[in-house]
Amino acid sequence: MMFSKHVTKDISAYCQGELSSEESKRFAEHIISCVKCRTKFEEIKLGIKLAEQLPQLTAPDSSWHEIESALDRGSEGQVRVASVRPSVSWRAKVAIAATVIVVFGLGVWVYRSRPGSTSGGPTAWQVTRLGGTPKIGSSSISSRGSLAVGDWLETDGNSRAQIAVGTIGNVDIDENTRVRLLETQPTEHRLELARGRMSARIWAPPRLFFVDTPSAVAADLGCAYTLSVDDKGDGRLSVTSGWVALQSKERESIVPQGASCETQLGTGPGTPYFDDSTREFQDALKRFDFNKDPASRLDALAATLNNARARDTLTLWHLLPRVNDDDRVRVYEKIESFSPAPAGVTREGVLKLDQKMLEQWRLALEGTWGPNGKGIPKLAVEKSLKGWSATPLKDVLKK
Amino acid sequence: MERRAVMAEQLINGQVIEACQRGDRDAFRSLFEAYKDKVFSIAVYSSGGDRALAEDVTQQVFLKLFTAIRQFRGDSEFTTWLYRLVVNACLDERRRTRRLLPWDTTRTSVAINNVSEKKPQERQYARLELAEAVRGAIEELKPKFRLPILLKYIEGLSYEEIAEVMGCSKGTVASRLNRGHSQLAKRLSHLNNPALWGE
Repeated sequence: MMFSKHVTKDISAYCQGELSSEESKRFAEHIISCVKCRTKFEEIKLGIKLAEQLPQLTAPDSSWHEIESALDRGSEGQVRVASVRPSVSWRAKVAIAATVIVVFGLGVWVYRSRPGSTSGGPTAWQVTRLGGTPKIGSSSISSRGSLAVGDWLETDGNSRAQIAVGTIGNVDIDENTRVRLLETQPTEHRLELARGRMSARIWAPPRLFFVDTPSAVAADLGCAYTLSVDDKGDGRLSVTSGWVALQSKERESIVPQGASCETQLGTGPGTPYFDDSTREFQDALKRFDFNKDPASRLDALAATLNNARARDTLTLWHLLPRVNDDDRVRVYEKIESFSPAPAGVTREGVLKLDQKMLEQWRLALEGTWGPNGKGIPKLAVEKSLKGWSATPLKDVLKK
Repeated sequence: MERRAVMAEQLINGQVIEACQRGDRDAFRSLFEAYKDKVFSIAVYSSGGDRALAEDVTQQVFLKLFTAIRQFRGDSEFTTWLYRLVVNACLDERRRTRRLLPWDTTRTSVAINNVSEKKPQERQYARLELAEAVRGAIEELKPKFRLPILLKYIEGLSYEEIAEVMGCSKGTVASRLNRGHSQLAKRLSHLNNPALWGE
């Protein structure tokens, strides 16, 4: 993949559904691992978004009168005027006019509804029944169904379904789950997970697929993950491949493969942690993230730091901006004990939350976030995280 | 093919085309009403925002259409034929007048810079300003990049249909749209602001 040809020339065609499934897949596989093409992809995506704002204008009413006058004057020389042409009855005229309007409207509808429509991609996603009797709205799916924008897909305790997310991936819907398709555009696909559990495998460029939950939005950065929401609206994200950003208006967490992140209604995403961290570490972190009592949170932070391993600098790095000035010194020193700050990153800068230095340190720490103390795949994150650090990803938040 | 163009062609090859070929004025009117806004929009964006000039171009296109429709035998899709007339008329007019007016981007960027601080009705206004800024940037593109964008976003044509209208390959259309999108993004990079998009 690393050595495959660049795909910049195909970006518009990809975004507008003009590539075949095979071409789309090749495109996505390349762009996930190619910073150059991904940078261009973001630019073209903006260009498309802008072009979509182009309004259709209305011709002045006077135009027809001018044309009719010209016809009467025989401006074009060959147009026969009404007085000499064979005429059709008024009923035929009304029928013609009505037919023009109806068929034109129908044409527009068919055009916009067709799979792979180039004006905005497919407007519905295909749903396949995996078991039981999942429902779209009030209709049960026997084998396959179609999920249109605004439709709810619901499974009960015995049913499961799979959604094909255009040409960019699949989402498995587990039992007792309720999801709704919010948007499907060339530049954005968005689901709402109201409750239950779903597993997504996305092979699209970063930030093309989003899932809204009651307390946070999961933004795909080229990955596979599981997302669940309980009846209270709280949720949990677990990433099995690549990276996912979990965001609310106030908080953002970037979650790599092998890590998870809790999210709670009213608070938003907590701090990400690796799944193989100790139970004590995870319990302490949860208390720190979601407990409202300052004294309890202080104790929880101490327990988190005490139970941290070198790999847990993922969590500690995220904690830096989430603690007060005094506690930030403790967190800084704990990270330093595992992995000294690289050249160019100063204690003073980090304590002042200098974005460039935080970013630089994170990139260095990534080298220790693999399961064996080695690095983890950077994949789509390099560019994404620059944007994430410097400018919060509020552009993906619809709430 | 599931395309609006095909639907329109099916209709126009039938009653309306025949009536137009017989010179029926009401059939002409129906045809005009169906396509006038799209033709006018392309003409406006191709003439530097000069609506009067665009109205002239629109009238020329329909006069040519009505004159030549007797020769239309249905060898190509009607819409392809129509949009070819439109594209040629716009290019002819540009060659004739060279009236491509520069767009005042300063005015629009100043107006929308602080949109996130504005009230809902002001945000609505800002959205209109955004559309105006896009319009201005599109008018500044070279015709070979601008026309595919207009055919794509105003007419809703596929790459294949655009290629047919412009008499080039689908790959050329893809390449020109790519470059057009890229230039738009560069010219309007200051509008890459979530608040502008109602998010």
